[in-house]
Amino acid sequence: MSGTDYQKQYDGQAGDRFNDRLAVRETRSSRAPAAIIAAVLVSLICLYVLLEAALKAIGQPAWLLEPRDFAAWLNQLPQNVPPLILGTSGVLILFAGLFFFLQGVLPGHLHRHVLPSRRGIAVVDDEVLASSLARRARTRANVTEDQVLVTVSRTLVEVQLRPTSGIPVEESAIQSVVEDELLRSHIDPMPEVRVRVSTSGVVGQ
Amino acid sequence: MNETPRALNRVLLTLIGLLLAAVGATAVALAAAPALAGTWHAVTRRAGAGVENVLAATTLPGQRDSWLWIVLALVMLVLIVLMIAWVAQQGKGRASTLAADYNDDGGPGTVELGAAVAEQALKAALLEHEEILHATVATYEFRGTPGLRIRVLPRKGVPPYLVAEQVSDLVEALDLVIGRETPVVISIGTSARARLGRTERVH
Repeated sequence: MSGTDYQKQYDGQAGDRFNDRLAVRETRSSRAPAAIIAAVLVSLICLYVLLEAALKAIGQPAWLLEPRDFAAWLNQLPQNVPPLILGTSGVLILFAGLFFFLQGVLPGHLHRHVLPSRRGIAVVDDEVLASSLARRARTRANVTEDQVLVTVSRTLVEVQLRPTSGIPVEESAIQSVVEDELLRSHIDPMPEVRVRVSTSGVVGQ
Repeated sequence: MNETPRALNRVLLTLIGLLLAAVGATAVALAAAPALAGTWHAVTRRAGAGVENVLAATTLPGQRDSWLWIVLALVMLVLIVLMIAWVAQQGKGRASTLAADYNDDGGPGTVELGAAVAEQALKAALLEHEEILHATVATYEFRGTPGLRIRVLPRKGVPPYLVAEQVSDLVEALDLVIGRETPVVISIGTSARARLGRTERVH
């Protein structure tokens, strides 16, 4: 443990970079579950090969497959297996491979936004943001909780509102209220806000 | 904020994915296009002959099989150990010391601040707030620097920037108490309790 280095690393510009790295880590998936699955898979295959290789090394008969028989079977491949079975297992392996490949290559954004904060970094789950936006829209439109649905994604905020029948709701007013709440959150970049007030109302509650 | 080796995860996942996809694609190609069978036979026969030659060349006189099998077994063993090490790296970095001062200022001994000091103080302070349902504070190391990870679950409808502000205030107070600024991650989330619970009506 290098106690004296802490401060050096964290202060000034290095601290900013440090915080940027942290923000990236907090808003992206670590891929730990996929990594564990892949590691278990590889270990199992290795374990089997280890067993057969060890048996071969000490001159014992093979457990499940004689390596030479397996090689011969591979060589004869399209003929000794029904095409349907070969094709389906091939597709399954291909999909498993694609899953791991995409886990490795895709950015893996979590449903989170970074908030500016005086101290360290702050990230907020989109669901929390949505519920705070819904509360503002709800109080402005004077409707109940069930009549507003807000979904927040990385670049878009969608507000769906069903007014109480007889009480008209102005779309632009809701829009400005939601945008104001977003502005106060200082989310960068500011997501686009789309408000949809449905034409059919809800019976007064 | 922890020391999960993210870059390694991605590199290894990409490699394993490509390998599996290549095996799958070969099987699909062989099943779909019988015309490829001839090439496949030729290529695998040549590869098989190459392997047989290597095996024969590495068989010691008087032995039945090549010593390459022992090498293969050892390689597999190493791979398994590496895979276990890889899994063990996931989510690593929980620290028990928040700050330590090893500056040689002439005095004997060193000062170490346990992580529980900050964790418990912050948690108690956070739970006093009406709009915060639950809070967990943990100390993690990231790049060798211990920092606080504060997970706050506010009541439904509470503006997150207000929560971030309140937590920042508390963290700044903590900075004054412990005398140095540690990295902080404030994570504001939600839970079943927040979803089902009553919303905050008065502010």
